[in-house]
Amino acid sequence: MVTLVEELVLLAIEDDGSVAYTAGAPGFGMAVIGAALVELNQLGRVDADTQALRVLSKEPTGAAALDRVLAELAAQEELPVDQAVRALFIHAPEVVRLALAALAARKILHFEEKRFLWVLKSRRYPITDGREQKEAKLRILHSLLGDELPTPHDSALIGLAAAGGLLEAFLSTAEIARLEKRLEDIGGLDLIARGVESAIQDENAERAKAAMLPPY
Amino acid sequence: MDMNTENVDGITVALPAGRLDFGAAGPFQQQLEQAVAAKPRGLIVDCSSLDYVSSAGLRVFLVAARAAKAAGIGFAVSSMKPAVKEVFDLTGFGNVITLCADRAAAVTALA
Repeated sequence: MVTLVEELVLLAIEDDGSVAYTAGAPGFGMAVIGAALVELNQLGRVDADTQALRVLSKEPTGAAALDRVLAELAAQEELPVDQAVRALFIHAPEVVRLALAALAARKILHFEEKRFLWVLKSRRYPITDGREQKEAKLRILHSLLGDELPTPHDSALIGLAAAGGLLEAFLSTAEIARLEKRLEDIGGLDLIARGVESAIQDENAERAKAAMLPPY
Repeated sequence: MDMNTENVDGITVALPAGRLDFGAAGPFQQQLEQAVAAKPRGLIVDCSSLDYVSSAGLRVFLVAARAAKAAGIGFAVSSMKPAVKEVFDLTGFGNVITLCADRAAAVTALA
C-alpha cells in the first residue's frame, strides 16, 4: 500500500530516477506537507475546518514521514490550514527524505549515488518496476478523463498534484489547460488540499512580489 | 452526532444533527452506506440540524455520493446552515453534487 505522501513523491521521479522537483520549491514541498496532513486526518490524528487545523491525537502512526509532520504540528500553535502548511513547509525536505527511505525499504525504488567529474555527487532514485507510479498516474487520468466522482484519496491526490505542479510530469500544458474545469471540480473536494492550494498561491504571490522590489 | 431518517415517496431523507467531525464521520458514513444499500429511489441528506462539518465529515458526503451514483440512486444535499454551506462552497462540492436550498427543492431535483 503506497501512501498519499509516497504517491506524490513517486510522481516527482523521472524515468532516469532523478527527482524533478526539489522539496524546497513551494509547490512540491507544500503539496507533500498537505498529503501528510490529509493522511493524518484520515487516521484521526488531526481534523480541520475553515478556522483551524487541530491535533486530535499525538499518537504516532508508525509512518515516519507522517509522524514527523504530526510532531511538528503538535509543537506549533493552532493555525488555519493554509498558514499551518506554510509553517510546516520548512520540514518538507525531511518528509520527502523519509518517504523515499520508506519506498526504498519496500523495494519500490532504490538509491543510486553517482559522481560527476569525480567530485560532484548526484543522487538518483530509480523506480524498481514502476507499478506504483503508473497506478497513481492512471488513477489520476481515469478521474480526470471520466465523469465518475473520485474517491476522497484520489480527489486529494489530484488536488495536491495539480497545486504542486506535478501533473506537468505526465501531462502537457495543453492537456492540463483542456482539463482545467474538471481539475477544479474534482481536485478541490478535500478541505485540507484546498488549504494547500491557497498556501501555495499565497507563497508564490509573496515571492513574486519580493522579486519585484527594488534592490535597496 | 445524531441521525434520523425519513421516507418521502421512496426517497430516503437522512437528518444528521449536531457536529459532524472526525469522531462522528465513521458512524455517519455507515448509516449513509446502509441507506444506499436499501436501494431507495433517492437519498437526500437534509442538513437543517447540522451545525458543523469538518474535513473528515465532508469526506463522508463524497463517499456517499459515489456509492449512490454507483448504485444508480439520485443523491442531493439540502438545507445547509451558513457555517456548513461555507465548507461546501469553499470546496466546490456544488460542482459535482446536487446542493439544494431546502428539502422540497431536493425532492424535485431527484424526481
